[in-house]
Amino acid sequence: MTARAGAAPPSRSPVIIRESLQGKYAGFASRFTAFAVDVAVSVGVFMLALAAASFAARVLTGKDIAWNRGNTWVVVAYAAWVFVYFAYSWAASGRTAGMALFGVRVVRDDGTDASGRRAVVRTLALPLSFLFLGLGFTGILLGDRRRALHDVIAGTAVVYSWDARAARLRFLSRER
Amino acid sequence: MRSGDTWRVDSSERRLLAESRLIPRSEQWAQAAADRVVELVVSALDVNALLDQVDLNDVLDRIDLDRLLERMDLNEIVKRIDVDALIEQTDLGAVIAASSSGVASDVLDVVRSQTVGLDEFIARWVGRLRRRPYTGPPGPPEAGP
Repeated sequence: MTARAGAAPPSRSPVIIRESLQGKYAGFASRFTAFAVDVAVSVGVFMLALAAASFAARVLTGKDIAWNRGNTWVVVAYAAWVFVYFAYSWAASGRTAGMALFGVRVVRDDGTDASGRRAVVRTLALPLSFLFLGLGFTGILLGDRRRALHDVIAGTAVVYSWDARAARLRFLSRER
Repeated sequence: MRSGDTWRVDSSERRLLAESRLIPRSEQWAQAAADRVVELVVSALDVNALLDQVDLNDVLDRIDLDRLLERMDLNEIVKRIDVDALIEQTDLGAVIAASSSGVASDVLDVVRSQTVGLDEFIARWVGRLRRRPYTGPPGPPEAGP
């Protein structure tokens, strides 16, 4: 056991950050990449569902179903699926698949767990942040609490949920 | 005190002068003697025999650990521990490595760290543009692990 005296010893692992940011407001890059993953996951799952429906229809009726983006039912089904994907994920655990991957989580603005009602409101308000060239997202960059428009409307915030310090300890322990 | 061409030294001044020379020397002798005495006593002392006569369990029973811990700032002590060095120099690291998952977890840690690093980079630049020093990410009132 060595007492820390003066400056910290030089780090051999610049990749893993030293300080745990757990519970702090998440930044733009983490949120954006998590959202990109969520869009990819939701689109991928929806495409798989359409393919499965086409296959089932061909087996049962012998006819092919042609899906296209102009089809109103496809748009409505996709909107419903995206709503369920985000609202259920935020209500159940505060995180979607992308957010879990990047270690961020939705909480109430006081830091406690987000409720189902806030999750639904946040999901409904999410499209508003895209209006005017994504003006609603500038709060993440410029705001002191890093909240987008849909966060403000729903009374939520996004925080880091992974323990960077534990990750660093794991990293150091494997370096030995 | 000057008288004609000669200096006459007062007897009391002479005594003080002599004492000022003698006292440091006598203190040195006393210190050396005390050191020697302590050394002899310690060498003559059989510590094992002394410990045999002491009931350490009884001594420990008399210690109020709760009160002792109340007077200690454990958080301050923990802060002084260099955990990185602890992990590197002990088997604790192996325990942590064994208790955590494998390569996928490492990759995830690195990806998250890189993204957080990018978050901090962006936040610092935004802080510069806004001419407000960036002091790290804030958190909600209930923030914490």
